Amino acid sequence: MNQIWGSMEQYNTVVWHWPIAVYLFLAGLSAGAIISAIVIKWMKGNDVSPWDGIIKAGAILAPVTIGVGLLLLITDLTRPLMFWKLLIHYNFGSVMTLGVLALFVYFPVVLLFLLGVFKKELVENGPFKFLAPIADLALSQAKLIESVTLVLAVGVGAYTGFLLSAMNSFPLLNTPILPALFLASGVSAGISANLVVGLLFFNSSTNEGNVSYLHGLDVKVIFAELFFLFILFVGMMYQGGATAHVAKAALSTGGLSTLLWFGVIGLGLILPIGLNFALPHGVKHSQGFVIFNALIVLVGVMALRYYILYAGQTFVG
Amino acid sequence: MAKKYGMIHDNNLCIGCQACSVACRSENKIPESVYRLQVWVNGPTEYPNGTLGYEYHRQSCVQCENTPCVSVCPTKASHVNEEGIVLVDVDLCVGCLYCIAACPYQARYVHPVTKAPDKCTFCHESRLSRGEEPACVTVCPTDALVFGDLNDPKSKINQVRSERVTYRQKEKLGTSPKMFIVPNHKGGINS
Ligand code: SF4
Ligand code: SF4
Repeated sequence: MNQIWGSMEQYNTVVWHWPIAVYLFLAGLSAGAIISAIVIKWMKGNDVSPWDGIIKAGAILAPVTIGVGLLLLITDLTRPLMFWKLLIHYNFGSVMTLGVLALFVYFPVVLLFLLGVFKKELVENGPFKFLAPIADLALSQAKLIESVTLVLAVGVGAYTGFLLSAMNSFPLLNTPILPALFLASGVSAGISANLVVGLLFFNSSTNEGNVSYLHGLDVKVIFAELFFLFILFVGMMYQGGATAHVAKAALSTGGLSTLLWFGVIGLGLILPIGLNFALPHGVKHSQGFVIFNALIVLVGVMALRYYILYAGQTFVG
Repeated sequence: MAKKYGMIHDNNLCIGCQACSVACRSENKIPESVYRLQVWVNGPTEYPNGTLGYEYHRQSCVQCENTPCVSVCPTKASHVNEEGIVLVDVDLCVGCLYCIAACPYQARYVHPVTKAPDKCTFCHESRLSRGEEPACVTVCPTDALVFGDLNDPKSKINQVRSERVTYRQKEKLGTSPKMFIVPNHKGGINS
């Protein structure tokens, strides 16, 4: 640029880039995985070892995805070596601080869940014998710990939405529906990831009834997501003025709107619903289909996070 | 009473000469390719009588009173000092860039050396602490910039605010900037 006032590069409104979108995806997935694993565990007959493959999948996915997400988040800081200051300096008015505090408790409780579920592999026959008392505690107090975990997981799933919606300079982000949309899509991603891992790695212990239950639940959550997306844009249209313009632009401009229509809505939401209705019972409940379906849902949820993050920062009215 | 510093940018007096921007750069040793302050020259636009004129926009931190940048900062690295000036404590900053994203005025940039956000501080760390006015204000050849204490009824800024029409940018966001703009009143006011 050669305006007399100099380069305008620093005024790009896109500040947060793809690692943040991946983090938002992984945090939502982690919350959804533990939520759906606990839901299955609380069903009749599932609350005893040997655990269902879905429960095992959730027990592994929840800590691993949040761990990877946080590593990504830390390396994305411009001062990554200073990240520990986040752990000891708080601003209770900041959603980021509230997220850090929630994760402080969330991470240990999902690890406890992992330890309880894999007690035999990790503690009895594994390298973590010294953790035996903790694993016993995890099992004897399972209900209590799981209840706390559920609340925290809902908090983690929703906080990723509040993180963005707290910024009132971005009309697409600054809406009350965003945390609900992120929580729903996180649950959907968690269910799908549990199904994939459960069926691929713990096939022998994965109960077919639980698979169809979760698969059916996923379809309902996807309906909710579609409805939330609809509310998001209609709500913005009704606000009129700059906000309505932002909504129109976000729905119709460039590669981002293509991603929304084809990736988020077409592939991630409509296709799973459509296939679920169109396919005969036998195909629908085959393992191959459940896995395929779960994979497209996961791609759709990732596309949603990417779309919201970039479109939110790009279309500012 | 504590001081509350604010500034006026008068669009009718401004000539877009960039003296303020250059003075800011040398006073605050701003690295190449980033800016605490720019003056954007928009136009020329045609007035009803056929003559032409420019609109000027001072692009810098507007020193919000309800500060989005400070409320989102997880470590309180972004903070407001006793004189109402919004500052960044580099030592506390982790570089999450939440403040840059949350600032509705695009006033912040990542300092290429510290990697922490930086922005206009009304020359707090240099001239102001010596009791002098910010560099931009002192060099302005047309006195388009007025600086002073908003809590002092006798201050120059409050005299000017009592005489001229002013507005603040994006007031509907509730940020309550302490940067007051005297709009160009030739050909009607576009806020
Ligand atoms: S203009 Fe931006 S950086 Fe300055 S106080 Fe307001 S929000 Fe903070
Ligand atoms: S980048 Fe630094 S100053 Fe800005 S919000 Fe993050 S920690 Fe605070």
